[in-house]
Amino acid sequence: MENIISIKDVTYTYPEAKRPAINGLSLDIYRNEWLSIVGKNGSGKSTLAKLIDGLIESETGSIIVDGQEVNEKNIWEIRSKIGIVFQNPDHQFVGATVEDDVAFGLENQGIPRDEMVKEVDAALKMVDMQDYKTRDPQSLSGGQKQRVAIAGVLATKPSIIIMDESTSMLDPNGRKTVLNLVKQLREEQNMTIISITHDIEETELSERIVILRDGEVVQKASPKTIYDMGHKLTNYGLEEPFSSQVAYLLKDELKLPEGYLNEEELIENIWKLSSKI
Amino acid sequence: MEIIFKNLTQSYEANSPLEGLGLDDVSLTIHDKRFTAIVGKTGSGKSTLVRHINALLKPTSGTILVGDREITPETNNKNLKPLRKNVGMVFQFPESQLFEDTVEKDIMFGPMNFGMSEADAKKSAHKMIELVGLGEEYLEKSPFDLSGGQMRRVAIAGVLASEPETIILDEPTAGLDPVGRKEIMDLFKNLQEQGRTIILITHNMDDVANYAEEMVVIHDAKVKAVGKPKDIFNDKSLLTDDILTLPRSAAFAQKLAEKNFSFPQLPITISELTTEIKRQVHGD
Repeated sequence: MENIISIKDVTYTYPEAKRPAINGLSLDIYRNEWLSIVGKNGSGKSTLAKLIDGLIESETGSIIVDGQEVNEKNIWEIRSKIGIVFQNPDHQFVGATVEDDVAFGLENQGIPRDEMVKEVDAALKMVDMQDYKTRDPQSLSGGQKQRVAIAGVLATKPSIIIMDESTSMLDPNGRKTVLNLVKQLREEQNMTIISITHDIEETELSERIVILRDGEVVQKASPKTIYDMGHKLTNYGLEEPFSSQVAYLLKDELKLPEGYLNEEELIENIWKLSSKI
Repeated sequence: MEIIFKNLTQSYEANSPLEGLGLDDVSLTIHDKRFTAIVGKTGSGKSTLVRHINALLKPTSGTILVGDREITPETNNKNLKPLRKNVGMVFQFPESQLFEDTVEKDIMFGPMNFGMSEADAKKSAHKMIELVGLGEEYLEKSPFDLSGGQMRRVAIAGVLASEPETIILDEPTAGLDPVGRKEIMDLFKNLQEQGRTIILITHNMDDVANYAEEMVVIHDAKVKAVGKPKDIFNDKSLLTDDILTLPRSAAFAQKLAEKNFSFPQLPITISELTTEIKRQVHGD
């Protein structure tokens, strides 16, 4: 597998902090994969995203993004390849209307006006916000703002999208729409998705999960392997998958197979037990 | 405090081509000392609804009664302090409102603004920082050196420090890790058990099922349903139109019902679900 991002021995300490937020971390991220980064609040997840985008500079080691080292010389080219959707939508608005806001990133790339209008419309349509294009972003609810922010990122057609808790403000249907959209973008536009999340169910969509603690990688594996950790997941600020919680409460009376079962598998097993009687 | 909305309508951008209704003829009673959840899709009017409770918004028509204080379209901004002291509001991302150079000063700001003496506010800060699970050693820190989850707790402590009778929470746990989320939700439940009224806006239907005694469903600026979570989640008319999503336990039960299980009423919590599965598997 080809690396799109290679992180090697990176350390970062915030000014006046006692210990590093990222501590000698190395990690390869593959082109076109969907990678989940999980861990407690304060484990270093968002700091890592900032380092990749060059918003802050590592003290040691190196970060290579799509063949280029993250440094002052390459920073703008690297940033044009990365779209970040942050957690708090209020911090990411600049335009007076929704369409201006989505256009902002394109203006920075010097795209002609008529093409821009088309791109903006297409991006708003993808997040189902086309009816709001003349509204003031500040008049939208949190979830609507987030969809506009995602449209702004999509319009610039990045090859890497970093989602920093960006679905945590959406209602369940809004979240589903956004995740399906991201899935589609990954498949059709060959994008690499890095999703920082606390939502264990969201990680099921990804190919790999990386667990951070105190700025270090403590585990990286497929979702199934990670879910097999069961109750230990709470040590890393994660919830057990819902099917594991149900299975755990059933095990005192029902004989279920060991290891992680997804919801379908668990239902199948419960059904088998009940139909024997 | 009992809170009564009477035919309350709220328009935004009035007299412009973009005029729309934030709330449309809402009549609703939120009971004293209960835990009420307010749910609805993004943009349905939930946040608008609660902003009327401490008069951050005024009705375009209709009234709202908060305890013995009535707010009408004519109410002016004078003398709203007692109301706002009694109705504490934790906004989405409350940490964005932190501004003092120490955590202690930040927590003290609210109560002092409502007229509490410095000594009492200090006492309150010490009590609240413990209550939100951070410990006194945090009081001397700068709020900006804290992690997002810790800042959230400080902001919540700041609202609690004024000792409001009614606490409104607008998605207070968004972005917290699951362990932190549960701690904060347990804290709110605890506050209710000590005699406060809790009003929670949330998208998390598991939190509704696990913590709320009553729920209000807002849809297209109107009150669509009010009642106990168990009854509301079993109201099929709300589920078919995509107005409401189910807690995970109820969704799981629905899938089992496609096999040979049957649920006269869908369970809404994980203990209800697993108890019912065991009962049906054992065949009694």
